[in-house]
Formats: sequence, C-alpha cells, structure tokens
Amino acid sequence: MKLFVFKSKDEFIGIESDYVYRIIDDLKVTPVPLTPESYTGLLYHRGELFDVINMRLFLGYPDEGSSETTRIIIIKWLNKKLAVIPDEIVGMIWIDDNSENTNEYYHEERKIRLMKPDYIWKKLSELSYGPNKI
Amino acid sequence: MDLTKYEKIFAQESGKYLKELEDLLMQVEKNLSDIGLWAEIHGKVHSIKGMARALSLDKISELCHLMEEWCLKFQKGKLMSSPAAVQTLFDGSEFLGALISKNGRLDSFEDQKAYDSLISLFQQSPPEIFVTVPVPQQPLLAAHSQPMVASIDYVRIRYAFIEELLGLTQEIQLLSKRFPSFSKDQMSSGLKNWIDHYTALMKVLYFQLTQLRLMPVGDFADMFRKSIRNIAKENDKNIDFEIIGGEIQADITLLERLREPLIHIFRNCIAHGIEPAEERIGKGKSADGKITIEARSEKENLYIKIRDDGRGINKTSIIRHLKEKQKMTDEEIENMSEEDIYDTILSSDFTSSSGATELSGRGIGMSVVAQSVDYLGGSLTISSKEDIGTGFSIKLPLSLSIIYAIIFSVGRYTLAIPTLNINSIDRVDLSSAENPESYYDTRKLMGIAGEKINYVTVLSLRYAADKAGFADEKPRMKLIVDNVIGNRPLMILPVGELISRIKLFSGIGIMENGDISILLDVDNLP
Repeated sequence: MKLFVFKSKDEFIGIESDYVYRIIDDLKVTPVPLTPESYTGLLYHRGELFDVINMRLFLGYPDEGSSETTRIIIIKWLNKKLAVIPDEIVGMIWIDDNSENTNEYYHEERKIRLMKPDYIWKKLSELSYGPNKI
Repeated sequence: MDLTKYEKIFAQESGKYLKELEDLLMQVEKNLSDIGLWAEIHGKVHSIKGMARALSLDKISELCHLMEEWCLKFQKGKLMSSPAAVQTLFDGSEFLGALISKNGRLDSFEDQKAYDSLISLFQQSPPEIFVTVPVPQQPLLAAHSQPMVASIDYVRIRYAFIEELLGLTQEIQLLSKRFPSFSKDQMSSGLKNWIDHYTALMKVLYFQLTQLRLMPVGDFADMFRKSIRNIAKENDKNIDFEIIGGEIQADITLLERLREPLIHIFRNCIAHGIEPAEERIGKGKSADGKITIEARSEKENLYIKIRDDGRGINKTSIIRHLKEKQKMTDEEIENMSEEDIYDTILSSDFTSSSGATELSGRGIGMSVVAQSVDYLGGSLTISSKEDIGTGFSIKLPLSLSIIYAIIFSVGRYTLAIPTLNINSIDRVDLSSAENPESYYDTRKLMGIAGEKINYVTVLSLRYAADKAGFADEKPRMKLIVDNVIGNRPLMILPVGELISRIKLFSGIGIMENGDISILLDVDNLP
C-alpha cells in the first residue's frame, strides 16, 4: 500500500495515497463562524469548496500558525472531500499490507499512524457546530 | 489512418441525432400519419447511417438502413404506421445508442443475439395493414427550401472541460495576487495600468465562465420525456408532460443529482397516482393523465414542483399508520397540518411499513428521495387532494446561480445577505436610538467579544424575523454589523455537510475575485 505521510506536532500520519487529490500552497482559507477550533475555514479551489482542517488542533495539540512551507493537502474519497493543513509534508512510502496492526506502521524507525479519511470525517461530525457549540 | 478522432466526432454527432430522433418518435406517436414527421425521422436515421458507413461501422449502418426502409414506407404513405412500429423504432434507436457507445462492436453473445433479433424484426414488414395513401410531394420540397447549411449558434463541449477552464482562470487570478513587488523605478504607471486592466478582465472572464455551468431547467426536464413515456407504456397509460418555468437556470451538478429522485417521483405519479384511462373517464377526467414540472426561483432557492392530476393520496391509511405505529392520539393528529400528514410518507418508518402498501405503493422509496434532496441541502414536501392530484415540492439552494448580495464583515468573518432582502443600510447611534434592544447584534451571535460601540452600521431587512417569509407589515429586522464591503454579484454554492450543521447559513458565495462570503440565513437567526 502506498501511504502519503505528513507530520503534525510529533506525530507522523499516513493517508492512503489514492485519496490525496492535490497539494496546494494557496493558503487563502476563509474563516467560518461558529465552527469547532480545528475547523480552519473554507477553501475555494478550481471551482470546488473544501472544508479545511488544522491537523494540529484536530489531534489536540496547540496551534503554532502557518509558515512559508505550509501546504494544504486536498483529500477526496467516495463522495466526500476535505482539506487538511499539516505541519510538514514528509512524502510517499510503501508499506506491507500484511502487517498485523493495520493502524500503525514503522518506517525507518518512525511510527506512522494510518488515518482513514472516514475516521477524520467521523470525528469532525462528532464536534459541535452552531451558536450553542461547546 | 487514425480514425479515433472521427469516431469521437461520430459519437458526438450521432448522440445529437439520436436525441432528436427520439423526440420525433414521441411526436409521431401522437400523430402516426404525419408524413412530415416521418420525413424528419427518416432524415435523422439516414444521417447516422451515412456517418457510420464512412467509418465502416457496418453493424450500425445495417441497422440504420433497415430502420430507414420502414421510415420511408411511412413517409411515402405506402404503409400506415402503428404504435407497435413506433415502439420497434424506439428499440432500434436505443440499440443504436448502445452500439455507438461501443464503437459499433457487439462484445457479447447477448449483444449479438439482441442485434440479430432486432435486424430480423426490421427485415419484416412493419406490423400494420397495408393501406394506400396518396403520396404527397410537399414534404420533400419543403425540406429543400431550407438553407443547406445552418449557422452554428451552439457547440457541444464536455462539462469537465468547463471545470478545467474555470480552474485555470482561477489560477491565473491567484497568480496576479502573488505579483512580485517592484520599486517605483521598475514599475511605470503605464505598466501598472496595464496589469490592473489585465487583472480586471481576468475577473470578468472568470465570472462569465461560471455561467457555463448553468443550464435551463427546461432542457433538463426535457430529458425525462422519454422515460415518462416508457414508464407510462409499462403501466398501459398515456401521459402528457408539461414544463413550466423551463427558462430558469440552475447548476448542472445540482440538476444531475436530482435525476434519480425525479425519476422516482415520476414513476410514483405514473404507477400509483394517475388512474387507468377507464377510471379517469368515469371520473369525468381526460383519458390521458398529465404530469407538470414547474420551476421557479425565489431568494437564493430553486423550487421544483411536480404535479400529477391523478387520484391523490388517501389520508386514511396515513392516519392509521400514525395511530398504530407512531402511537399518536386523535388530538395530536388533528393538530397536524395537512402538509405534515402527507410528509409522513417520506419517513423511512412509513416506507417500510404496511402503510406504503396500503397506499398502493405511494410511499415506497419516497424516504430515499427525501434523503437525496436533503443531501443537496434542500427539502421535499407533499400536498394532495383526492381525485385532483398530488404535488411534490422540492426546495433547493439555487447553487451556482448568480445573485447580488450585500457583503459585510463581522469580526474576521465575511458574510452576505441577498440585496433583495435588504431594505436599507444606515449608520445608527444606539445611545440615542428609540429602541436599542430591537437591534440584532451579529457580533454577539458570532461569539465575538469586544467593547460595546454606540455608533454602528445597521442592515434593515425586508423580512420580519419569523419564518412566514414576506411580511413587510411586520417590524423589520435590524442587524448590527461591523462594515459593509459593498453590493457584489455572488456565485452561490450549497453549504457542505459540516457547515450545514450550524443551521445559520444558506449558501456560500464566491465573489468575482474568488473570495468567499457566507450567506446568512436571516430566517433562521436564533
């Protein structure tokens, strides 16, 4: 399996590369009121709207702002789409599908956590939105 | 010689001819002896045959040739057509479509078998008695009186190509935002003007391109004519199909997603709503049923209503369901509006229950339709009158339509309200205002902390703060905002699943420069 790996704080996160639609350096994200903290805003790219998620905040770490090297990863799967902002893009790795633990992989002594887009979506859906958000 | 390019052109062109052919067949079905129509049908089949021959697509040209012979007999009045003959031509047209999509190849044994049986059918004489009709000279002459080459007003392009163009234009726009900074010496005023002009033109170009994503609802509805006819035939009924408000423009993506729900509603109307001809005549109705699709746009929404003139929905079994399955009391049911009672059939609970069967299938699958509409950010409601008919009203965000909106900021957020909904924009001193608590503080709503300011910008809305819609006689809602940016055209996209949870925004507006503003749903302010 080919994994697209990025880093947020000290965690290495891997997403199946088939889901990665595009990497962009356009950081023009429009904030949306009454959304959870990890919801950075909306991105309009090539005629489509994407919800943009700050992965640091999503994983429960404090935000450290963006820099010149910050990129946005656009993910598309089934009929859903999402954009995530990592701290750093690591690159592509090939892993053995036969591993016993399908949530974690080790590559060059780094622990890579496999994250399915549906998992991110589910977690986002569980957050509170609107005027009464917690 | 590489024929791929020509095969592509053939597929595009013949697709157009087939669509026209099917429309003509639907017309001739109602007037079997219309020789002029038969001449046109013959012409369409002949055109496909000619192109297929040029590309040595023998299977296609052979089928066309035989279909053409039938048409010629009807056209010359040597034979009188029949509904069965028209149906066979419909089948032939459908098979041609499939064959063209496969570049004239019959891939499987089943395909070959179907092809052979169709060929043998067309080799026989059309299924009708031989009648002698005088051969008219006029249609041929009339055909020749038209110009040989029509002017090209429209071209067909792939939808994905429009998307590509939009993407590229947007990237050029973004590029202009990252224009390297020059010193005064490097940048002459002439160059600066040229760049400004160029950037402004790019914005206009982008905005114009977005219009390509729209199509008239009428063209979309037209695509259902054949399906409606086929479903009606399956049910041994005849249906007239009327389109009202077909000129309303809507986003192709949105309409495409409505295709399945609409076909389900049409099927429901034809199979369960419209009565058989004898029953209709007995009720004093016309033998043929009628389905109307009506489109209109209001505020930032598209409304599509599908009506049949059938038997309506019997409320008794819905009420029984509410009592037995939902354990509702008579009093509770009495307090329900007509709309709420009929909307019961949209719940999955009803769909899977005996209620749907008792209603002759009227509820079957309707929950799936309601879910599909809901997914598009819309809603579906039902109205019905016994023996008059049933209406299915779909409300959708107009999506990608262009509206003018007042863009304003509240804290770091850029929001918008359609200009039509704004009565006035004023600067108000709250310390001397008559009723300061009647002003709605959007900063507070957005959870923005800050000092209380007395001198504020106020947007007065045309609508009252309730859900009744137009109610100018009621007090106008007054929103306190930070700054008004301007009155701008916006391309409206539907809110996504996550933002729809906020329940305060009715759409996402894209400005000419690609910036985003969020459409505040003033009807839903808490």
